Amino acid sequence: MTAVEVKNLSKVFHRGLGQGFFTAVKDVSFTVAPGEVYGLIGPNGSGKSTTMKALLGLLAPTLGSTSIYGIDSRKVEARKAVGFLPENPYFYKHLTGLETMLFFGRLCGLGGKPLREHCVRLLEQTGLADAADRRLGGYSKGMLQRIGLAQALIHEPKLLVLDEPTAGVDPAGSRKIRDLILDCKQRGITVLVTSHLLEQIQEVCDRVGIMASGRMIKEGALKDLIAVDDQFEVLLQNTDAALEPQLREWLAQNYPNTQILRAGRPHTTLERLFLEVTESKSSD
Amino acid sequence: MFHLRRILALASNTVTQLLRMKVLFFLLAFCVLVVAAGFAFPAVSEAQQLKLLKDVSFGALQAFAVVMAIASTALLLPKDVEDRTLYTILAKPVPRIDYLLGKYLGVIALIAGGLILMDAAFSLVLYIKQTIVIKEAVDWFVHQQQGQADAAGIAAVTADLEKQGLTWSLHTAVWSIFLKAAVLTALALLISTIASSTLFTIITGFAFFVIGHGLGLFRDYFFQGGISRWDYALSAVLSILCPDLGLFDIVDPVLEGHVPSVMAMSTMTGFAVLYIVGYLTVAHLLFVEKEL
Repeated sequence: MTAVEVKNLSKVFHRGLGQGFFTAVKDVSFTVAPGEVYGLIGPNGSGKSTTMKALLGLLAPTLGSTSIYGIDSRKVEARKAVGFLPENPYFYKHLTGLETMLFFGRLCGLGGKPLREHCVRLLEQTGLADAADRRLGGYSKGMLQRIGLAQALIHEPKLLVLDEPTAGVDPAGSRKIRDLILDCKQRGITVLVTSHLLEQIQEVCDRVGIMASGRMIKEGALKDLIAVDDQFEVLLQNTDAALEPQLREWLAQNYPNTQILRAGRPHTTLERLFLEVTESKSSD
Repeated sequence: MFHLRRILALASNTVTQLLRMKVLFFLLAFCVLVVAAGFAFPAVSEAQQLKLLKDVSFGALQAFAVVMAIASTALLLPKDVEDRTLYTILAKPVPRIDYLLGKYLGVIALIAGGLILMDAAFSLVLYIKQTIVIKEAVDWFVHQQQGQADAAGIAAVTADLEKQGLTWSLHTAVWSIFLKAAVLTALALLISTIASSTLFTIITGFAFFVIGHGLGLFRDYFFQGGISRWDYALSAVLSILCPDLGLFDIVDPVLEGHVPSVMAMSTMTGFAVLYIVGYLTVAHLLFVEKEL
């Protein structure tokens, strides 16, 4: 059984009186296998959010269907398996961190002492134990994102749906969220994630779907999609600069048609550099 | 069909939300008003002092219930849609009917709690005032009779004032205010399922409140020549679309000393339940189809 199945999904919105119709999603299909991390990417207005809303049962498909672990996502039962982190954390600002967790836990049918203990544990895991008694109105964007993740995991879902989980979060927070996605994957939780940060999608996803203008234009395993068919990459370690002319000479002799497109020291990412520098500074 | 734990979670969250909006300041203001009204009119007669205290208090009770029913309900659902909190809630295994019932029960629990506290505060002040006034009246009566006052005369003075004092029928008037507020809350919730803003719900809610009080007059005016089958049907449709709030207006007769019968109270409660069930059913049918 697939974890997520979106089958020929189309969604048409009525613009308003006399203003005609607008097709947000056209004939989109994809599946996500259990335990897989699937990235849905695309520019603004490409139909990602509409697809996600249809999957969460917040919108009814005009055509086609969506299901979660075989259950039509319009049915409430389908959402028992889902934990959802919205793009901008939409929570009650009058509640404290702990109250928010208890509230969402109760909505999932949990209660009593086990729920309170579970909430405290999740707040500790997301680094919010010290802020548990503060109202969400005073939380930073990163803290809201983390409590969003904690509430999404409150009922130990089989599927985690993350809508732009790192939007507005600093690199360290962003890295924590990335680690959490990988941790979920290790625990066998299926993850469906949308993000504008393609580097992050590349780091965590097994498969991706690229949407544009309401259509799925490319979909498949990440390593297949990003592989360049006519190139081959070798990365050497513990070597010196003298090896390069020898390699060039050897290639010219044995494979005269092969060209070296790039040679030199590989670069780290700015994100990694930032994290290394800031983490070493804070440990001083 | 319903999940009680979810409904109670939503209801208690609604109560917390409204309490943290500082609505209890209204109750504090009410208590100050009642105490002030209790001791502010020493120039008028004893019976009038008690009546003024009741008038002012019941005016405030009705204002609290109506404002809470319409304004606070109007704040809830459109705000959840606007802030998109509704996405996070409905992405959990929460049936939309549970959400609506939770919000509804939260608002009426707060109204009920508020009315009970206000009723208790009012009853206490009225009882104290009544005791003082009766003592003064009896003293005055004895003084007038130059020590010849008989027990029957004193009892008559006391009985007259006790009629204007604290009686059980006053609580039935509070119950009627609660019923009216419960009907208005259900109506405001229905409006908010189709409204695009809080303001629209508040304005429409108050419009229905005004029309609802005039529905009896409207019927009397149009059907004064006798009621045909069509007139009856039209009247029924009107009563369904807009609640006949005149059904719950027993405050004035009660303040004048009338005691409503058990049958009248049961009928009024029955009408309220019918309206509430009807409005919540329509609200659910609209909300379940709402695209977010």
